[in-house]
Amino acid sequence: MSQTDPIDATDEMNRTAEQTISTTDGETAEETRSEWVDYDTGGETKLAIKNLDVYYGDDHALKDVSMDIPEQSVTALIGPSGCGKSTFLRCLNRMNDRIRSASINGTVELDSEDIYQDGIDLVELRKRVGMVFQSPNPFPKSIRANVSYGPRKHGDIETGLLARLTGRADPESEEELVKRSLERAALWEEVSDRLEDNALGLSGGQQQRLCIARCLAVDPEIILMDEPASALDPIATSKIEDLIEDLAQDYTVVVVTHSMQQAARVSDQTAVFLTGGELVEYDNTEKIFEDPESQRVEDYISGKFG
Amino acid sequence: MSRTTETALVREGRSSYEGAAATAIGLSGVMFAVGLGTLVDVLEITTPVAGVQLSTAMGIVLLSLGVGIISFGLASRLDYVDTRPQPSAGIVAAIAFTGVWFAIGALVAGAIGLGTVSWMAVGLVAGAVAFAVTAFPREDIGSTLPAGSVAVLGGVALTIGVIGPGWEWVLVSYNATLFGDTAVPVVVMFASLLTGWAAAKAYGGFGTRGRNVGAYVLIYLIVLSILAVLVGLVAFVVVKGSPGLFHGFSIGGEQVISWPFLTNGASLLADVAGVFPALVGTVWLVIGAVLFAVPTGVGAAVFLSEYAEQGRFTQVVEVATNGLWSTPSIVFGLFGAAFLIPRFGNNKSLIAGMLTLGFMLLPLVLITSREAILAVPDEYRDASAALGVSKWKTIRSVVLPAAVPGITTGVILGVGRIAGETAPILLTTGGGVLPGKSAAPSVLGGFQLSASPPFVTNPSLLEATSALPYQLYALITAGLSGNIEAPQQFAWGLALTLLLVVLVFYAIGIATRYYFRKKLHQ
Repeated sequence: MSQTDPIDATDEMNRTAEQTISTTDGETAEETRSEWVDYDTGGETKLAIKNLDVYYGDDHALKDVSMDIPEQSVTALIGPSGCGKSTFLRCLNRMNDRIRSASINGTVELDSEDIYQDGIDLVELRKRVGMVFQSPNPFPKSIRANVSYGPRKHGDIETGLLARLTGRADPESEEELVKRSLERAALWEEVSDRLEDNALGLSGGQQQRLCIARCLAVDPEIILMDEPASALDPIATSKIEDLIEDLAQDYTVVVVTHSMQQAARVSDQTAVFLTGGELVEYDNTEKIFEDPESQRVEDYISGKFG
Repeated sequence: MSRTTETALVREGRSSYEGAAATAIGLSGVMFAVGLGTLVDVLEITTPVAGVQLSTAMGIVLLSLGVGIISFGLASRLDYVDTRPQPSAGIVAAIAFTGVWFAIGALVAGAIGLGTVSWMAVGLVAGAVAFAVTAFPREDIGSTLPAGSVAVLGGVALTIGVIGPGWEWVLVSYNATLFGDTAVPVVVMFASLLTGWAAAKAYGGFGTRGRNVGAYVLIYLIVLSILAVLVGLVAFVVVKGSPGLFHGFSIGGEQVISWPFLTNGASLLADVAGVFPALVGTVWLVIGAVLFAVPTGVGAAVFLSEYAEQGRFTQVVEVATNGLWSTPSIVFGLFGAAFLIPRFGNNKSLIAGMLTLGFMLLPLVLITSREAILAVPDEYRDASAALGVSKWKTIRSVVLPAAVPGITTGVILGVGRIAGETAPILLTTGGGVLPGKSAAPSVLGGFQLSASPPFVTNPSLLEATSALPYQLYALITAGLSGNIEAPQQFAWGLALTLLLVVLVFYAIGIATRYYFRKKLHQ
């Protein structure tokens, strides 16, 4: 495949994408597909994904995906199980690097900087692109320690014994950070009086909001969410959904979801992945749910498929 | 499966049957416990109970239990009570009873002096009958009759004194004699195990529920016997060792607590000979071994589970560590003697013993740490990585804290093994049979600064030192004699001290594990 070819100019991206598709697969139906994904979001592009291919061993998990994700909005990725939407999400902060068999071709540009080029600092990247996982995964530590974990490990705040002895500890800024992050994640009211309690004692919905607070504490620009509400009950789910909409005012949110209702409720634009790891349609959320271009997407949304 | 008849959820009219069965279960449990007691000599079979000897009394109880069990089966078979037996007691029960009755037939025939061919034939016939009785009738007969018959047979034998206090059976080919005080409790325990099981099945009304209750009772009785062995062992050492350990022990007076056995050496001048040097030696050996093995073992485990590519190399390391853990301790001792001693002044020394025991401890620490690290959910690693935290910081602040309870368990197990090791100490650390108090190593006070490399020296690490298991071994090899009064009492006290030292190390480990677990989950 030719995706590794250097692509130097961003404005040529769409043309290149079409060329690649037509060279790899000559069918006319496939060519029109690129029009359905070629959606101009209107906003400032935060993440530009170009010709992304992912292989797990011999398994071609993601096929030639290109899309622009605009700043300060919610982008939903929907599709049936195994369609590659989580794989796609994990490419955006290079979490797929942690899977040995995965190989990735193509580019992902964060503020016009390719995150797959040599010499990229993964620590910086993941500080800027935070992630919330499907099942809540707080550390077996206190609520406070969970929230301040990232900044402490990055040396932004110091709370250790040595810091305390040398007077570099700044408990007030930690306190402030914990409070700010928990408030932003709409959890402060519920836990403010028990910050020293173990996070595993919280309910599932609270744990998930704690994970969001933990992610916010490192001050990311983008928040990736991998089915953040799929393990939660309806009330906890609606709290998370409210939170997602709220977060989009300051952050760029990309959320993978199984639930089309959820995508319709929270997102500004929606990308539909279908079986085989192809991005079939990417458009304004209303357009996708009311008048999709692709017949397959319409079938999927109306429940005939997937 | 369609149900042709409605079965009532509530079974009626069974309370007296269930009551009788429960009594039989309880009685079986008591008989099992009494049998165990006689086996370990807590009770004597000649003790008079209600006018007869204990063995006769046990025979009468067994006999009535057996008759009771058989009548439970008959009552169920004749539909006097509402039970739900299955068509057969099952192949497992049939094979088990075949084995049991083969053994009984063969033993009885052998005991009355029949030849090999004859006892074999009797056994086979008994086994075949038992198989038929178990497998072919309905479950209520199949599981009560063979079990009850064992109890009846045993009961009769004990009651009329065929097996009893004066009984003995010379096993010519084994060059041994079986006495009544061993045979009686074995018969009682075995028969009451069977009656307990059968009574429990009757209590549950046979069928699925009966099997469930039966298994429950059987497992409980077996657990009871394992616990009894444990308690018996500890109690035995405590009873034998206490006089030695507490010889001269007093509270109050000049010192608040005076415990000469633990604070004295074995000198001619001391009023009470003590084990102080060996006690200190053992404590330092364990501390040294743990200080050596835990950092290296945990470090290697972190490398193997977090950094190394899983594959041929890690497999080889795994096999090698498992092999090292099962290597006999004398081999470690030889390694210490041949490799370490020449490097530490060519004498047996404390530090050689520490390192040798450390090598022994290392594989277990490695294995358990590796398991503990692998058991830490990947979600924690993912969460940490997604926050941009580097791998080493993740390991240090998330993975290792979560693995500490598991690692501690490994260290506890390992310390239990190395604290009691004799062979490596014999070859590497040595020490006298009855060292005086001055022979105790003073490791903390022994550090000295010097002007030339290595700048810090500690002569007490380089001296031969006694240790509790080694001193015990040396005392026994010396024929339990020496310049002390009551060497036998001294030796038992020594054994008890060793047991207590190991228990103290366990307690420390368990407290550590509890502390970290609590920290993780509360």
